[in-house]
Amino acid sequence: MASIARKNLFEDIPRFLVAQAGIMFAVSLVTIQTGIFDGFTRTSTTLINSSQADIWVSSDTMVHLGLTLPIPVSQLSQTQQVAGVERAEGLIFKTPLWRDSGGNIMSVVLIGFDPQGQLFTPTNITQGSMKALSEPYTIIVDQTDLHTLNLQQTGDVGEIASLPARLVGLTKGNHSIIANPFVFTSLESANAYGNSGLTSNLDCKLQKGSDGIKCTTTYSKSAPTDITTTAPTSVKPAPPVPKHLTGNDLITYILVRAKPSEDLQTLKHQIEAALPSTRAYTQAEMIEKTQTYWQQRTGIGFILGLGAAVGVIVGIVIVSQILYSSVSSHLKEFGTLKAMGASDWVIYGVIWEQALWMAVLGYLPSMVLCLGLAAWTSATQGILILITPTTAIAVFGLTVLMCVGSSIFAIQRVIRVDPAIVFKA
Amino acid sequence: MTPAKINCAEKATIPSQVGSSSTKLVNPKTKAITCRGVKMVFTSGVERFQALKGIYLEVQKGDIHLLMGPSGSGKTTLMSILAGILTPTAGRVYLLGEEITSMSRSKLARFRAQNIGFIFQGFNLFPALTAAENVEVALNIKGIWGRSARKQAQLLLEQVGLGDKAMSLPRDLSGGEKQRVAIARALSGNPKLIMADEPTAALDSQKGHAVIELLRFLAKEKGCTVLMVTHDPRIKDVADRVVYIEDGLLHLESKE
Repeated sequence: MASIARKNLFEDIPRFLVAQAGIMFAVSLVTIQTGIFDGFTRTSTTLINSSQADIWVSSDTMVHLGLTLPIPVSQLSQTQQVAGVERAEGLIFKTPLWRDSGGNIMSVVLIGFDPQGQLFTPTNITQGSMKALSEPYTIIVDQTDLHTLNLQQTGDVGEIASLPARLVGLTKGNHSIIANPFVFTSLESANAYGNSGLTSNLDCKLQKGSDGIKCTTTYSKSAPTDITTTAPTSVKPAPPVPKHLTGNDLITYILVRAKPSEDLQTLKHQIEAALPSTRAYTQAEMIEKTQTYWQQRTGIGFILGLGAAVGVIVGIVIVSQILYSSVSSHLKEFGTLKAMGASDWVIYGVIWEQALWMAVLGYLPSMVLCLGLAAWTSATQGILILITPTTAIAVFGLTVLMCVGSSIFAIQRVIRVDPAIVFKA
Repeated sequence: MTPAKINCAEKATIPSQVGSSSTKLVNPKTKAITCRGVKMVFTSGVERFQALKGIYLEVQKGDIHLLMGPSGSGKTTLMSILAGILTPTAGRVYLLGEEITSMSRSKLARFRAQNIGFIFQGFNLFPALTAAENVEVALNIKGIWGRSARKQAQLLLEQVGLGDKAMSLPRDLSGGEKQRVAIARALSGNPKLIMADEPTAALDSQKGHAVIELLRFLAKEKGCTVLMVTHDPRIKDVADRVVYIEDGLLHLESKE
């Protein structure tokens, strides 16, 4: 049929543009909210994805990647002795204070790993190299966090827990929407930053009635650390070279690579049996645990979902109004179609076609806008708005559903039209 | 010329006339339009208005039949019922031998599409469509699509003398041209019945005359039955029969 729907739509350009603006608003809101949610979900596990480990070993109190109690380094060597383990490396995860050259402080997420190791590497190193981290008190940060950390370029220095931190490299894409900036460093430097101003004391006692020995590591402040001073003094003595980690030191995770063809579930249980008070997770389980925490145990999923729902509701209201008003102003034409013998389905088809045109013509520019916005926020803010093909298809489906669903009121209007309207001049 | 049978019901004698009149009625299958005891009551809240009070009417195939009467007399209501657009409160309507008052909505829609062409006082053209597309839509409803529909639309427009205006939008056409597009649309699919509502009301004398000639041609040369609501006395000259409706009742007017 000659497209009455399409031609009616373009007949009144101002009304058409108002409708498209409404649909674009709704589509953009849904896409951005979904993109932020997906981006957030993905970035919450960026660090896990940076690992080539098969199994992550943590304290049995672990809630998610960033919330767990430390485990002693001694368990690292114990892990290496478990049959089926090919390689094990330690990973330190801490949230110390960063102090920039202007004396401003903020929390950072410090990730200490073995730069010579194989199981953890920050993704997308754009400047500098991993080797540089072998130098004491050196760090690599994401390029989008330079401004936040008040750093300009490699070679700039800040402080972590009163110890110097020299920038030796940059990464791209290691940025989380909700977490503080990631700061990558070596295990030794991370240990030094974590224990700055603390001394450890290992106290081991023979347990009564058993052959076991219970060891307790106690940390105490060795010297006062004033973190409220406004600026680092320029004449500070050179800090001691970070020491290699010993059995008394604490790490956060043990990354494990299993021997080829090793059953990971079996190996997990073997590791847990060998290391008291620990839990072992496969890479996938670790990702799921962390993502589930952020999605379900925080209000982020709900808030972003609510924003998307508001977008859909706004879209439905606008499209309903526009379709209703369009149908009302063409009521006599619909009556004429009915008089000429068009079936109800032909009438619905005209209205649905109009709704589909609105959906498609509202969706396409919105998606272009959202993709542009996502690219811009990623480049300038380091915030990942993840618009996958699946998201794009799902949003398109939702847009079509929204527009076609909105035509219910318009269809009601046509159904109730007085048929004799066609004979009224 | 075969005279149309008119059964005019009197207000007080409608029930008795229904019985006696119906015995005189010939088989509806031989008529273009047969209307038996049609009543129409409109209600609004507690108010009740009887627009038609028992209409009996028979129209021969190929006739031009005029329906005249003052405003509010029930012309439009009767036309709507005869076209199967409104369902009467009581009575039966036969079109081309088929009882339309007992048809389902969808069957009635198909019947209208296949058998009836409409010409409206306000033209009722789709303003966003060209003249050709306006005719094409009617053809589409009748199941004629694509190139065939486009070709037939062009032919129909040429028949009404608007072959060169096929791509014009209604807003670019004069009143007479719009009505001719409406007639071309009404003729799509060769309908057996043409129902025209005040087809000359919006036209000046010259253009009105052209439309009248076109309708006469349809009836006499093409064999269409034309039922027309009109106030235009000029059309009386080409009509086979004229009936008056007043206060919901029909009265026959002798043409002579």
